[in-house]
Amino acid sequence: MTLHRPLQIASRVAVFGGIAFVLLYVLVIADPSPEVGGNWRTTNFGSALDDWQSFTRTLLNGLTFAGLLFIVASGFSLIFGLMRVVNMAHGSFYLLGGYVAYEVQQEMTGEGFSIASIEVSTWEWVLPALVAAVTIGIVGLLVQQVFLRWNQGQELRQAMITIAISVIIADQIIAHFNDGIAASMTWPGWTDRLIELPLLGIDYSLTRLLVLFLGVAVGVALWAWLYRTRTGMVIRAGVDDRQMTSALGINIQLVFALAFVIGSVLAAFGGVVGASQGAVASGQDGQWLLNSLVVVIIGGMGSLLGAAAGSLLYGLVFSFSAVYLPTTGDNCCTQYSIIVTFVLLALVLAFRPQGLFGRAG
Amino acid sequence: MKGTMRRWKLLLPLAVIAAIAATMAAGSLAAPANEVRIAIMTDCKGAFGFGYEPDIGGAQAALAKYAGGKAKNAKKPSAGMTGIKVAGKDVRIVGYGCGDDTAATALKETRRLMEQLRADVMIGPLSGDEAVAVANYAKGKPTKTFIIGTAGSQDPTLQIAPKNVFRYHGDGAQWNAGIGEIAYKRLGWRNAAIMMDDYSFGWTSAAGIIADFCAIGGKITKRVFPPLNTTDYATYVQQLPSPDNVDGYFWVVGGTGTSASLKAFEQTYGRIDPKKHIGNLFFAFLGADKTVAPKVVGSYIGGFGTGPGLKTTQAKAYEASVAKVYPGLNGGNYADGFVYNYYNAAWAFVQGLTKAGGQLSKLQASLPRTLRSGYEVSDGGYVRLDRNRQAIQDQYPLQIVKSGDSIATSIVGYVPNVDQTFSGLFKKSSPPPGRSQPPCKKQKLSWQGKIKVVRNGVITNQVIK
Amino acid sequence: MILGMTTKQTVERAIGMGALVLVAIGPALFDDYWLGFILTQTFLIGIAAASLIFLSAYGGMVSLAQVALYGIAGFTLGNMVTTEGKGLHLGWDPWLGVVLAIAITTFIGFVLGAVASRSAGIYFLMITLTYAVIANYFFGQVTVVSGFSGISGIDLRAPGFVGADEESPVRLYYVALVVAVLVYLLIRFVLRTPFGLSLQGVRDEPVRMASLGYTVPMHRTLAFTFAAFIASLAGVLYVWWNGQIDPATIGLQGTIDLLIVAVIGGLGRIEGAWLGAFVFIVINNYVRDSWLTRFLDDVGIGGSFNTIIGVIFLVIVIVSPDGLMGAWGRFTGVFRRRGGGTEPPSEAAVEGIGRT
Repeated sequence: MTLHRPLQIASRVAVFGGIAFVLLYVLVIADPSPEVGGNWRTTNFGSALDDWQSFTRTLLNGLTFAGLLFIVASGFSLIFGLMRVVNMAHGSFYLLGGYVAYEVQQEMTGEGFSIASIEVSTWEWVLPALVAAVTIGIVGLLVQQVFLRWNQGQELRQAMITIAISVIIADQIIAHFNDGIAASMTWPGWTDRLIELPLLGIDYSLTRLLVLFLGVAVGVALWAWLYRTRTGMVIRAGVDDRQMTSALGINIQLVFALAFVIGSVLAAFGGVVGASQGAVASGQDGQWLLNSLVVVIIGGMGSLLGAAAGSLLYGLVFSFSAVYLPTTGDNCCTQYSIIVTFVLLALVLAFRPQGLFGRAG
Repeated sequence: MKGTMRRWKLLLPLAVIAAIAATMAAGSLAAPANEVRIAIMTDCKGAFGFGYEPDIGGAQAALAKYAGGKAKNAKKPSAGMTGIKVAGKDVRIVGYGCGDDTAATALKETRRLMEQLRADVMIGPLSGDEAVAVANYAKGKPTKTFIIGTAGSQDPTLQIAPKNVFRYHGDGAQWNAGIGEIAYKRLGWRNAAIMMDDYSFGWTSAAGIIADFCAIGGKITKRVFPPLNTTDYATYVQQLPSPDNVDGYFWVVGGTGTSASLKAFEQTYGRIDPKKHIGNLFFAFLGADKTVAPKVVGSYIGGFGTGPGLKTTQAKAYEASVAKVYPGLNGGNYADGFVYNYYNAAWAFVQGLTKAGGQLSKLQASLPRTLRSGYEVSDGGYVRLDRNRQAIQDQYPLQIVKSGDSIATSIVGYVPNVDQTFSGLFKKSSPPPGRSQPPCKKQKLSWQGKIKVVRNGVITNQVIK
Repeated sequence: MILGMTTKQTVERAIGMGALVLVAIGPALFDDYWLGFILTQTFLIGIAAASLIFLSAYGGMVSLAQVALYGIAGFTLGNMVTTEGKGLHLGWDPWLGVVLAIAITTFIGFVLGAVASRSAGIYFLMITLTYAVIANYFFGQVTVVSGFSGISGIDLRAPGFVGADEESPVRLYYVALVVAVLVYLLIRFVLRTPFGLSLQGVRDEPVRMASLGYTVPMHRTLAFTFAAFIASLAGVLYVWWNGQIDPATIGLQGTIDLLIVAVIGGLGRIEGAWLGAFVFIVINNYVRDSWLTRFLDDVGIGGSFNTIIGVIFLVIVIVSPDGLMGAWGRFTGVFRRRGGGTEPPSEAAVEGIGRT
């Protein structure tokens, strides 16, 4: 439905006004909570002016969560952008990657407490991650070659095929990985400390900064690959105009396979990081598929910048809403933080359905 | 070519229909009338999927001991059991329910067991929300009997409380009785923050802790409730007061969340101090988790209504009877509530049916109002049902200890005769446990000041000071 | 008009009539479990699937939000009519509750449809998936209207003549059957109206229709609204049947299950909705403890019902994407005309959607 000009202006004003208000609220307007009661201005810690440390901590929490989101969502976006395949099994690859890495790490470091977590070496984290990446890469390759290669263009059919595969993988994980019980990995021992960040005035976890670093590293690597190598150039060409690219004699099937493998590897790596940050358990495949979906809907499909922007926005909104929503009473409002992230999604859908950096249509 | 393609495409749906017909034909046939049909409802997926075999094993061990059942496979309880006979009537286990910790699946499975397979009695379900759904279902099926397996929600026997629902173990709040007093007296906590899963079991378990701690004079300064299955706990941990501003933290987060949330705590505030962290039974489920479990060694935790390591003859007899039928069940941990509570439920059923002379119509009236349970000490070792058919049970606060390459629990206290109402605090008319319920109030609980010290599995005469 | 009907259509009519007669005298033939559990569920899940198939076959849009909409209807009814327990428990009159539940859901369908109507194909699929997620989280987190345990006891507050399920499943069975038949007739009727015809035009040639002056997004929005109305009927029947509804019912699993039902039946034809529902429910019920799961265990693959249904779904999507109804269509081997009338091109409904 095309909006008439005044309506368009009004909605634009509303959106920008809303964003400005939220920023002001967090930075200035909020008050810390008193002993009893509260009003619309009361939040857990008050505004950034009242409590700078909490603000920077929330900011960093959001950024680091965004790092993990980016690792997972970038793979999803790449597969969609190039092959127009909505890989509904993306979450399953995440979960499988986490479990495989967990099993390998348990093998290497012995079951249970035989090695204290502080003694886990970097290699004892890197090798499980590599094994997981390679395994899921192979699984992804198989899936793509057997199930997706011959029905290019039939997007809906491909989406349903990947749904079926995700259902099967989810059930098999329960059957083969200890009933899908939570599996938690250990970061290398040297990361287990808090470091001082004098500029921001807090001590922050080195582990979380590592996650942020990994997210940025993945982003830089992807950018370098897509924009500085020949294969990357071919992929970008394929994203822009698939038929022309193959008409130029380029083996587009090889490029598709490669993209799908890279996407699966990213999902698996995300699973390893997720398992180390918290834990993985059956049921999370659906959650992470949705996280990827939310990120690329917000940021725009098939765009690296879009995946980054979407991750940042989602991560920050998630982090800030849990801490800065008003605490007016017992039943409001921080428990609705998860709803706020979906309100963000709804706004993007309503006003810019192709996403912030996506292409219209 | 096209013809064969078309024929092949035709054969597929016919094959599907044939498969359906075959499975239907292989389905259940009419059952003989002179038998009692029971079903065991538990979880095989989701957060408590690991409870499947322990639950079934516990129930069947009781059926073996008291009703002559013969296990088909001593290593796999779900393979079945035959030869169960009570008061001259054959008892057949018609099916095992496979839930996933959600009410929707539980209800589906319950209907399948009770309506399709026509069970008369259900032993189960396993989890809190499932029991709420089953209790509501039971209200409409007064001729069927439901003996709750090991669910911890309060509603089924307090707010809903249908006449055909029985529970021979404590609910999630009862399991935590005594832990607040231990925090106050032993660890010297005067104020605490609490983090709880934002759903009914989280609230119920937390309610027990809050009631116990506040009753003796403690104050809860902050309640934080991350939604179930949160991916990133950092933002919720951040809402907790820092370790300098509070005496301790009560931690009621389960499933994937236990280790994820504790990791998030360490990443925010540094090392976990076991003296400043008290958990509920979920800490014990951390098992061999390398990262977090070692850090909580030494923490006190709420129990599960069982007494692992209790050295009474009754306890040893119970453990021996399970080990006889299913040696090594649940890794040898027969004291786990998953095994124990299902065992007691099945045993209660056998006693009830015996007293009723095998007549199902008299079963509900005949189900025992007291049950001699392995880990009970008060009243001569009997659990008593209150007027809502809910057990009044002894509770044992625990402490996490190191045990080889993993963690285990050790009893530190004995809390006699904990009732569901917490000495009148929880009533049918009171709001159910929730985000802000119960409020933090000082009051007298029947077990206050009567918690006995337990050392090495022996209940001493000292009271916790 | 006998002259206008092909042999295939006659055979189909005969089978359809036969099936209808069979279920009409159901209580005489089937036991309580089949009536109350298998068949009543088939009717109501079929209605929900019909809303999905209506959109996919005649609107060219595959929506994953139907389960969410049916959940909204169920939760709304639950909140309004129950007198105690979770949720708002307003205790209003059952019939008022039904009317309001349907009206509110249809209105929400209109709003959601308006937002989603500007997208097509795979984007539409993803947007509707996010609707499903939002609904799931909303009912899980906003404890004032539900919470994780959901709302129970709704069947006890069903209108008089429906009766509660426990007395006898027969009344609800007939109510569900009648509603299912009415829904089917209603859909067929709508398809013959000018709106229905132009909707199919929009499905096939949106650009051309736009140039002819039809507002494409408005058509899609109205189609989505209509589908929401149908889904709300299924939602009301569901809570009368189950007595209880919780967020897990409308989670990702439930959403995918409905898609599987529709695909098994066939995304191209409305009749597929009930066929798919019946097949899915029967498999769900009987495969569980059967030789199939034991066979999987012995072979070492492991897994349960979900693996089996996943494999069946996969095979159907690969081999016969228009499901059982499509396979039936090929079996009878009659070449169907494209466009005109109410026969949709079935393969294109599945494969061509992405090209919109």
